Amino acid sequence: MSTTPQAVALGDRALPPAPERRRLTPEEHRALARRRRLRRELTGWAFLGPMFVFFVTFLVVPVLGVFWWSTRSGSLTIGSEPVGLANFRRMPHQVDALTAIRNTVQFTLMSVPLTLALALGVALLLARVTRGGAVYRFLIYFPALVPGVIAGLIWVFLTNVDFGLFNTVLKAVGQDPVTWLGTKSALKVVAALDVWRSTGYWSIFFLAAVIGLPRVLYQAAELDGASGFQRFRLLTLPLMRRIILFAVVVGTIFGLQVFDTVLILTNGGPGTATQTIVLRIWNYVFSADKVGYGAAISVVLLLAILCLTLAQLRLLRSRRGED
Amino acid sequence: MTSSETGPAAAAPYAIELLGVAKQYGAATALQGVDLNIEPGEFIALLGPSGCGKSTLLKIIAGLEDATAGDIYINGRLANYLRPKDRDVAMVFQNYALYPHMTVETNIGFPLAMRKLPKATVADRVREVAALVGLSDHLKKYPDQLSGGQRQRVALGRAIIREPVAFLMDEPLSNLDALLRVQMRTELLKLHRRVGRTTIYVTHDQVEAMTMANRIVVMRDGSVQQVGSAAEIYQHPANVFVATFVGSPPMNLLGGTLRTDGGRPRIDGPVAVDLAGIGPVPAGDGAVSVGIRPENIEVDAPEAPGATPGRIDLIEAVGSDSFLSVSLADDSTVIARVPADAVVREGQRVGLRFPAAAIRLFDHEGNRITTKGLDA
Amino acid sequence: MANRPAASAAVLAAAEQDRARGARRAASERWLTHLALAVACVLSAAPFFYVIAASLKDKGSLFQYPPVWFQWPPYLGNYQRLLFETGFPRWMLNSLFVATTVTAIKLLLDSMAGYALAKLDFTGKRVIFLLMLILLMVPFAAILIPLWSIAHQLHITNTYLALILPPLANPFGVFLMRQFILGLPKDLENAARLEGVSEFGIYWRIVLPLVKPGLVVLAVIIFTDQLVSFVWPLIATTDDNLLLMTVGVASMRAKGGTNYGLWSAAAIMSLVPVVIFFLALQRQFMARSTSGALNQ
Repeated sequence: MSTTPQAVALGDRALPPAPERRRLTPEEHRALARRRRLRRELTGWAFLGPMFVFFVTFLVVPVLGVFWWSTRSGSLTIGSEPVGLANFRRMPHQVDALTAIRNTVQFTLMSVPLTLALALGVALLLARVTRGGAVYRFLIYFPALVPGVIAGLIWVFLTNVDFGLFNTVLKAVGQDPVTWLGTKSALKVVAALDVWRSTGYWSIFFLAAVIGLPRVLYQAAELDGASGFQRFRLLTLPLMRRIILFAVVVGTIFGLQVFDTVLILTNGGPGTATQTIVLRIWNYVFSADKVGYGAAISVVLLLAILCLTLAQLRLLRSRRGED
Repeated sequence: MTSSETGPAAAAPYAIELLGVAKQYGAATALQGVDLNIEPGEFIALLGPSGCGKSTLLKIIAGLEDATAGDIYINGRLANYLRPKDRDVAMVFQNYALYPHMTVETNIGFPLAMRKLPKATVADRVREVAALVGLSDHLKKYPDQLSGGQRQRVALGRAIIREPVAFLMDEPLSNLDALLRVQMRTELLKLHRRVGRTTIYVTHDQVEAMTMANRIVVMRDGSVQQVGSAAEIYQHPANVFVATFVGSPPMNLLGGTLRTDGGRPRIDGPVAVDLAGIGPVPAGDGAVSVGIRPENIEVDAPEAPGATPGRIDLIEAVGSDSFLSVSLADDSTVIARVPADAVVREGQRVGLRFPAAAIRLFDHEGNRITTKGLDA
Repeated sequence: MANRPAASAAVLAAAEQDRARGARRAASERWLTHLALAVACVLSAAPFFYVIAASLKDKGSLFQYPPVWFQWPPYLGNYQRLLFETGFPRWMLNSLFVATTVTAIKLLLDSMAGYALAKLDFTGKRVIFLLMLILLMVPFAAILIPLWSIAHQLHITNTYLALILPPLANPFGVFLMRQFILGLPKDLENAARLEGVSEFGIYWRIVLPLVKPGLVVLAVIIFTDQLVSFVWPLIATTDDNLLLMTVGVASMRAKGGTNYGLWSAAAIMSLVPVVIFFLALQRQFMARSTSGALNQ
């Protein structure tokens, strides 16, 4: 307590102390404070609790369960036994797992950069139109709403050798038809499907950021004589760096999960040309003796996604720090 | 102050009583050892610069924040562990905190509706209160259809309708423009006269505090500097902070040395004042700060006997008066107030007189040195 | 003074030339922009039209060469078969039922949890918030095996509960609601607290009405995610009566053969609810994309 100013200020007007009996002892204070604390804890948990129960049961426990199952051998239904790290030790020699991982990574490396580059371009174009913007946005965004299964099915009609749209167009311009889903090109087609399906989503995502770019900087750059391309390279890209990085990370997380489109379009074939990680996991879920393999591959996917999530959180945090 | 003698058991309790209230945020101290008694019906202003803890204190009284230590009594009941709604206090927030999705009528009646009063009773009371705050014609409107002043009135109405032990107001006028603020100030005062409830009013505006409050609590860095009426705080500031925070322009403070030459106390320094006339001064020689309000400085001719010579650097005319910045021999500056029609010009040499009775002395820590002759 | 009008005329002429050149450039730029966007739209939309056309062809004209772009009169047999000879209507109803149920429950639970994380103070809040952030992106695909095992132990596989309960675990909605609720002024709840409103009352009467825009965005996100969801329903249900639209269509394709007419009809029909929804709530759909960047 800063005593002196008060003593002087109050002087003989100093306020009378409360009678002793009304003052609580520190113990009583502590007891009452504990009860107040308890009430707040209960309130907080009453609101969080219902969601939290599901969060733990169907997300936290399964995530831990992936690691547990990865040390087992056997089947989900009949029974399993512990095998330590055997599932991981054999993974480097396991051709199907390696193929699946390689395909998935290749797929992601093809589809994500192309998707985002196109999306950024479309976003910059969309930001410039005032008339008809809603129609463009609608048409460009629409594929993002199509379930993967349906998208896969639609591409069956595009890639069919006999009557598919691609070959029909090729024939119309006098070219030879192409076996789109052959061993060499199938994975590329799957990646192209993903580009078609995701570009609209990321265009709208980027559009919000493009519209939010500070106009004065562009006006200043124009006065300084920067060309359109220079403005893009020196202003747009650096200003949107974090947004783009965020999209790269999230796009990669999505890309690693590629499954339904592949299942419908190629079912992993021809051969193992379009086998992906999730396709392998799915194959092992109900296998009679290899559920542990599936879990071990799941661990790889899970760790990759967790690392990317952490990267994304860092991005978000540093961006917030700059605001 | 009768209750202090008879004790709270016999007389009506204080409306609000704070005993050693403190608040820590981690290692940072927001409030330390605040003691305060508020009589029923009193209008108390908590005055201080931003960050002084006045809003925190208000929230602690309301129960929106917990005190780290100390006891809070509301109407004689220990309130530390009561929920906000059980404390029987109503609050008016700086941003009014009107529910944007409810009409004026629903906003005002909300506290009663929450207490499950019959609809007809609520409607009657809402009409009464709306008339009191002058909103009878706007009951069906939504907050975003109202002007700032009207929103303020809705917030007041919502507080009044509960008939609480005390109103807590957190800078309620600071979002209004200057003209409206003066007008609402008057209205608030009238309302207080009519409703007669204890009011604690947080503000950083000394004019609001001075014009409205029975007593002002000046705060700084989480501790109470002085409690008193506007006149007490203005005339007898407890320390250098209060002396300079209250009053515009602030009290002049000059360095000096207190000497007692054969029983005659006097001050030496840029200004020399004979304090003999004001009776005995607490013993002790040493460095002091000499404070004097601008209006108490007498401006005379430069060669007038006993006057301190100086030169007018700047004249600030505010209409009714003029404030002169006068530099003294040692380059220190004092502000003196003269009537607007005084014949002065910048650069003019003048003599200043410091009447002993208007002098306030502060020790080296900045606290006031009580002099019997002045603090009767 | 005398030669000033002449100078003005020259200046005006130069200005007019500049303006005309600027206008021409702006016009050609605008034209190119629209052209590029039109191309993007065609690439984006052409597949749909191709499949719509295919769904209205009979087997003969589908394989015909040179191709028939549109058969006239359109053949409706594919749709007839889809609606009366397959489980498709049932699958569609299942999807709508599950999506609606999940959306309703999730809106309630997520907004409650978001309120707790935004405004209430309790032990473990920070840790839980972090845990939810870390697990935010974990997909069903990565936890299929333990999730099936848990569902099996809870005896909910092959029931609607298996489709409804696991999606409730996703913390995305909690963050979205937390973000919206954090944006509400603190004084509003404080005022309500002083006026005798219970904590639940504050959530129900003050917070929920004020975050309605957020709830709509979240509802759209959850609902569409449910309509699209595939891998978990694929594993969780085998009973034909429980299949969701995505799983049903996939099973149709998995049966093999060359039922192109039926497939195309299924692809088009399954988009009908999405299109209706999208046209009704276009703005909120776009927000689905932007709210992907949490914490903006």
